[in-house]
Amino acid sequence: MSSPIPRALLYVGGTVACLLLIPPAAIAYIRSQSSPGRPVHLIWDMDNQAKYKAQEENPLFADGRAARPIVAGTVAMGEANLDTHFTEGVTGPSAEWATTLPAGLVADETFMRRGQERFNIYCSPCHGFAGFGDGMVNRRAMTLMNNSSGSVDNTSWTQAKNLHEDQIRAQPIGQIYHSLSYGIRTMAGYSAQIPTEDRWAIASYVKALQRSQNAAPQDIPPDRRTQVGSEEAATVASAAPSDQANRDGGHDRQGAVNQ
Amino acid sequence: MSRFLFPKWSNLLLPTLLLVGAIMPLYAVFFVAYGFSPKTLEVGYQPQQPVKFSHAMHAGQLGLDCRYCHNTVERSAYAAIPPTQTCMNCHTQIRKDSPLVAPVKESYETGKPIRWTKVHKLGDYAYFNHSAHVNRGVGCATCHGRIDRMDVVAQFSPLSMGWCLNCHRDPGPNLRPLNQITDMAFDPSVEMNAERQASLKDQFAIQPSEHCSTCHR
Repeated sequence: MSSPIPRALLYVGGTVACLLLIPPAAIAYIRSQSSPGRPVHLIWDMDNQAKYKAQEENPLFADGRAARPIVAGTVAMGEANLDTHFTEGVTGPSAEWATTLPAGLVADETFMRRGQERFNIYCSPCHGFAGFGDGMVNRRAMTLMNNSSGSVDNTSWTQAKNLHEDQIRAQPIGQIYHSLSYGIRTMAGYSAQIPTEDRWAIASYVKALQRSQNAAPQDIPPDRRTQVGSEEAATVASAAPSDQANRDGGHDRQGAVNQ
Repeated sequence: MSRFLFPKWSNLLLPTLLLVGAIMPLYAVFFVAYGFSPKTLEVGYQPQQPVKFSHAMHAGQLGLDCRYCHNTVERSAYAAIPPTQTCMNCHTQIRKDSPLVAPVKESYETGKPIRWTKVHKLGDYAYFNHSAHVNRGVGCATCHGRIDRMDVVAQFSPLSMGWCLNCHRDPGPNLRPLNQITDMAFDPSVEMNAERQASLKDQFAIQPSEHCSTCHR
């Protein structure tokens, strides 16, 4: 007669089996959580090499930066540009605001689309996507400032400019370029964040935005007029396109935006 | 005198030992593979930063484009953490006396850099170029997850070699049109189909290399 398996063995076996389920469960839990602690690094190999990567800390220098600032009075190779039309947006002996794009830049569709993209990234937070000065950051700042129990944390916000105001529309493109590059009033300059060509693209796009809000039906190219509502189409059917140079201060963008 | 006989149940001893001997190595392997994989150890790393900067607020609620701050990502291998000036574009005025902004203000006034803690640490033996990926249709959220929902940035992807190779071997599902790169909400599995993916792959001439020295330089 065979004796049954001793209970003790069964209990021990069952307990061990259950205990073995704990590590996988623990791992599954760890996977589901985020943790502020440094990751466990088991095999170090060549993971941390004695080289300084971008923006790393270097304790040998007083300011702790591995990336050193540019030495004062030097210019990086390829960065020298003596064309003040290009870098500052001024032309002529008396450094007036430029009214045209600098040499080498053409306001074709690619350029304008680039300007649109860059405007949407860098300018729309304050100025809004259509340039009316109603961007999200602007709205938030105005809310903080006009808080009923006093400005939150001493916010003192100057409302972002509506780029379609007459005074801004009258500004030559060089002045727009200069304002966005080097700042104006409480707005900081973006020359460090945006390369020069892109800043000209943005300035061109600003001009296009301004044009878009102040255009007459005659400005629509003949081949696009059917897309306008039937009443306006009837009005402009026989009207000639207006003189572009008169409308936007002498820019030489020949219908580039409407192509 | 009675002879000792092993009880019948001890016949089970050998099969049990064999079974255990077969399962335990598998268990150990599973434990190591599951527990020590980068998906366990690296994903979810969410270090506290010296400044309580919230991406959920800035990228999410305010809708700032990733490139407003990380402006080098399209031209450089490295997506730079922005300089203090970028923060002060707004914070010279917005909430300028807030204790949350104070470390940034101090950095601005003293010129000392803010000591951000790097989250996405790739081993020094591997080379990764952001611009090559961002300019060819790989969205930010594909690798970094929904940053616009994170108050503190946590690592979303394991950044292991296997994970990189999965995409390099089949980049299609991770591609999106260039104007959607920074759109965090864009979901390729919903918005893209195989046809669009293939056309993007052709358009950008995407032939991801699996050669060792592509990344191990």
